[in-house]
Amino acid sequence: MDPGVLLQAVVSGLATGALLGLVALGFTLVAGTVRVLHLAHGDVVVAAVFTGVLVVLGRTPVATTLSAGPAVGFALLVLAAGAALSAAVGWLAVRPHLPDVTTGRSGDALGWVAALVAAGLLLRELLGLLLPEQAYAVPDPFRLDAITGSGVFSLPGGGTLPARVPAVLLLGVAIGVAAERLLVRSRFGKALRAVADDPDAAALCGIPARRVVLLAFVAAGLLAGFAGLLYAGDPGRTIGVDDGVVLGLAGIAAALLGGLGSLRGALVGGLVVGVAQSIAVTQLGAEYADVVPLGLLVVLLALRPQGLRR
Amino acid sequence: MTTVELAQALWLLVAALGLSLSVQYAGLPVLGQGAFVAVGGVGTALLGPGGAGWPLGLAALAAVVVAGGLGHLVAFGASRLEGAYLALATWALAWLAYRLMLAFPSTFGGAQGLVRRAPAHVVSPALGLDVRLTPAVHVGLAAVTCVVVILAVIRLDKGPAGLDLAALREGPELAASLGVPVAAHRRAVLTATASLGAVSGAGTVVLLGLVAPADVSPLLSLQLFVAVLLGGAAGWWGPVLGVALLTVLPHVADALPGDAERARGVLTAVLLVVVLVIRRVLSRVRVAVPDVGRERPVPAPHVPHDVAGTHPVLLEASGITASYGAVRAVDEAAIELRAGQVHALIGPNGSGKSTLIKVLAGELVPDAGAVLVGGRAPTGRGPAARVLAGVAATPQRTVLLAGSAPERQVAVGVRGGTRPRHAVLRHLLGTPSSRLAERRSRALVAAVLRETRLSAVAGVSPTELTVGEQRLLQIARALATGARVLLLDEPAAGMSADERATLRHVLRRLAGNGLAVLVVEHDMRLVNAVADRVTVLDAGRVIAVGRPAEVRASPDVQRAYLGVTG
Repeated sequence: MDPGVLLQAVVSGLATGALLGLVALGFTLVAGTVRVLHLAHGDVVVAAVFTGVLVVLGRTPVATTLSAGPAVGFALLVLAAGAALSAAVGWLAVRPHLPDVTTGRSGDALGWVAALVAAGLLLRELLGLLLPEQAYAVPDPFRLDAITGSGVFSLPGGGTLPARVPAVLLLGVAIGVAAERLLVRSRFGKALRAVADDPDAAALCGIPARRVVLLAFVAAGLLAGFAGLLYAGDPGRTIGVDDGVVLGLAGIAAALLGGLGSLRGALVGGLVVGVAQSIAVTQLGAEYADVVPLGLLVVLLALRPQGLRR
Repeated sequence: MTTVELAQALWLLVAALGLSLSVQYAGLPVLGQGAFVAVGGVGTALLGPGGAGWPLGLAALAAVVVAGGLGHLVAFGASRLEGAYLALATWALAWLAYRLMLAFPSTFGGAQGLVRRAPAHVVSPALGLDVRLTPAVHVGLAAVTCVVVILAVIRLDKGPAGLDLAALREGPELAASLGVPVAAHRRAVLTATASLGAVSGAGTVVLLGLVAPADVSPLLSLQLFVAVLLGGAAGWWGPVLGVALLTVLPHVADALPGDAERARGVLTAVLLVVVLVIRRVLSRVRVAVPDVGRERPVPAPHVPHDVAGTHPVLLEASGITASYGAVRAVDEAAIELRAGQVHALIGPNGSGKSTLIKVLAGELVPDAGAVLVGGRAPTGRGPAARVLAGVAATPQRTVLLAGSAPERQVAVGVRGGTRPRHAVLRHLLGTPSSRLAERRSRALVAAVLRETRLSAVAGVSPTELTVGEQRLLQIARALATGARVLLLDEPAAGMSADERATLRHVLRRLAGNGLAVLVVEHDMRLVNAVADRVTVLDAGRVIAVGRPAEVRASPDVQRAYLGVTG
């Protein structure tokens, strides 16, 4: 493989990986806090983006460049929608199936699994009723492709990439690392870990366990919103309402790769999955784009569900 | 309804019945039955006549074996973790199969689907067979398959497999502590589910001559999941009802305005929500049904006696060190459990009693030290292997199999302790050995219930048991594994004074029968009354061993308990 092409594939894989890392971070946050595998997380990512699209551009969106005002509005809307949808899924689908000390109810895994797949399916199908086309071009509020004057970014070795690729990489990593630091350092992060360790004991210490769980979903939703903006904003890509599942499962593969519950592991796992996917696509063909992360997830769960770290 | 539609619905029912084994009976959330149906259909089409040219039966069989293997593989990793990982693994598999079919149109025919280019004909000159597979023949074949599966499941549920399934469904961790090989059972169940899914796929592709990605999509997986959940605890007719609903669903979707595919998705999601609501309501209303009508246990032999007076060492541990991170919970502890003796393990809170019991029970691998059972290091790891070696433990918290009467819970213990080969198969065939085993098991259950003073409540719903009876039931289950060494973590917690007296009596009787009983206990009156020997732990170290009176007199013990320094 030509080193120039390889570098190209690796850098664009890292960019995809950075945004997958954000999806994985949200997933691992929820898994670490309430021991729930968030099967609808990818659908929240895509649904957040399309909520913004529906409000700003309507039901027949066309590829446009947004001016400053609508761009900011769109970005904020997507983030808010991510947080709200995630919180709603957490509250309506997950919470009724969690163990509850006050009523002595034990957890019901079959229940939250069914509720989460139902939530994901509902998000997909309801959006599909509103947006009937196969796929849509979504504007990029950050205008990352205009970050260099020429719109391209030259790599050593003669290769070039769209300018947005390194920008997505930097932005994705920056958001991921900032979120990780925030979650490790802040009082909220400590409360999260306390609830994760022992919800009863945390409640006895005066930590509002229910609110902390809800906030974990909100934080995961914000990360989902960022991931959605970076993912959908690519002018070379159109996205459909059903794309969330595979995106979410790729994020889950990343989270498992890094060891479930580990925030840093999720970010690194995202980069690994992104690069693996990118190299497979450039070497073997575009038909491997979905097959690689899905296959990786199946193999990982079959052989090494505890991740590569331990 | 045309004959083709009926045949299609019956083949779908085969997949649903297969899935019900995992979801309904074993409580495993499997979201990928569509993938196994796809493997059956695609495999049959690719390998059989019109594809690689294998005989149709062989091609279908190969596809079923591949699907079963895939199910086994998927369960391999996930079954060692919590059940929910199985949902994730099978869900990923459902999407992988779907996207694979779409991504490689040259092999799988793309969105149009893979066409089976062969006449629906089974010709075997060797057997003088020449059958045209008309839709009516399909109806017959599929119906016979369904009936056989239903009868087999009903029969299985009444035998040892039913105990395994109840244990998987109601308390996998508890089952593991009683020696039930939970992970292996999960793999077996998922293998069966996947195989039946593939049978369904093979039948359908021969019937329709086509397997399209949209027909085996993740939506199918979810619809089958709904169909099976709908039945809930209903038994075999749950999936039948569910599949009947699934066959109506497309017609309803077509009648709705808008895109029919989307409408199907919405309806499926709505059904899922409805099923969840029903489940919640039911779980609140349903008080576990007592097993009425079950035969009363036959009178039974005594749990065997050892020669009184001699007290051989049954379990010996030395140099045990176990840490949680930087905290050393047990520090070079040693303990010896002798036949015919009740041995109390006492110490202040946090002194490492529960950790030591976990090490002895095989739940925790110590950092250092050795555990010998009957003078030998037990083979295998984990609590299930320890149970086979004759050591059973009860957890500190009471855990119940919420849907099973006490006698059935005790039977799970019997099942965990004795693992005859191919017991499930033998029961299915009704061999004499399986009938004998069943009689023995019933006799043992009755004896154990008598020893633990639970005969009177043998058939009641577990929710009606008092705390004391629940504690005794824990002991009964562990005893039923045939263990010679019982490790009881705070068996008297939550018991009334009367119940404590009963417990004292039960423990003495067990020791009288030659068992070695280890009891972690805080109540010193109970310890003094029941224990032959006492080991005192403090900060992970053994600070005293001896008769209760000797230990009480030890200044070290008094210091540890009263907090006197110097």
